[in-house]
Amino acid sequence: MKTAEVSTPSDQEVLIKRSFDAPVNLVWQAYTEPALMRRWLTAMPGWSMPVCDMTTDVGGKYRWRWRDDANGVEFGFTGEMLEVAPHAKIVHTQVYDPGTMGGSMGDGASIITVTFNETDGMTNVATLIKFASKEDRDAAISTGMTDGMEMSYKQLDEELAVMKVRTPAV
Amino acid sequence: MKRDIFQAIADPTRRAIIALIAIQAMTPNTIAEHFDTSRQAVSKHLRILAECEVIKQEQKGREIYYQLEISKMKEIDEWLEQYRTIWESRYEQLDTLLAELKQQENKELKI
Repeated sequence: MKTAEVSTPSDQEVLIKRSFDAPVNLVWQAYTEPALMRRWLTAMPGWSMPVCDMTTDVGGKYRWRWRDDANGVEFGFTGEMLEVAPHAKIVHTQVYDPGTMGGSMGDGASIITVTFNETDGMTNVATLIKFASKEDRDAAISTGMTDGMEMSYKQLDEELAVMKVRTPAV
Repeated sequence: MKRDIFQAIADPTRRAIIALIAIQAMTPNTIAEHFDTSRQAVSKHLRILAECEVIKQEQKGREIYYQLEISKMKEIDEWLEQYRTIWESRYEQLDTLLAELKQQENKELKI
């Protein structure tokens, strides 16, 4: 098992790959049962997931929403299931729901394709995010930048706090 | 057509060129020697990379050297790093959940 690999197969796509030490039926369960999904599909540290409605029927809608427990700010994603092949593949649309956080990720729906592949008890999961247009991708970059930077700073704060404890006072 | 950095890194040869000149500036000839493809093909990739503003030319004596625009690469790296960070933190929680599910399954089999 290694850390997530991120690449850009084209100028409108981002691909995230990772392998898991579990057979595909369990990984599939974790990806399709809302009660299990909300345990791992977090937004950022310190955020909860108050809404995780989803069905895995083709044409079914889903709604995910996260909340920053510190200040109550919310955002989420909504979409529709386009293709569901048990233990193999999920394709769904994804639209950014700015909630009370604001920001934009463009007007078009991204297409998310998740493929599952088991070998020797390990499951490889590939998530392909295809933006509706280059404009949407750029919007995702600018929205992501701000959030990501805030998150990095928070992590930096935590790191620094740990370092402070470790460093003996001279 | 307006080029952007995503086109630069979408192609494996271009990614290899980027990795190569990240170490040091090189002439088009030296770059081409590292690839099995034709000089023309490498030149085309270099042109695209230059149009994407990922690399820039520098004249040194009679030779042209290509070097990497680090700041441009940083832009995209920061963005991808966010995906890596967020997905890795999710996946670590998924690892924990899967370990639990596996344990439960084992117990059920024993009973």
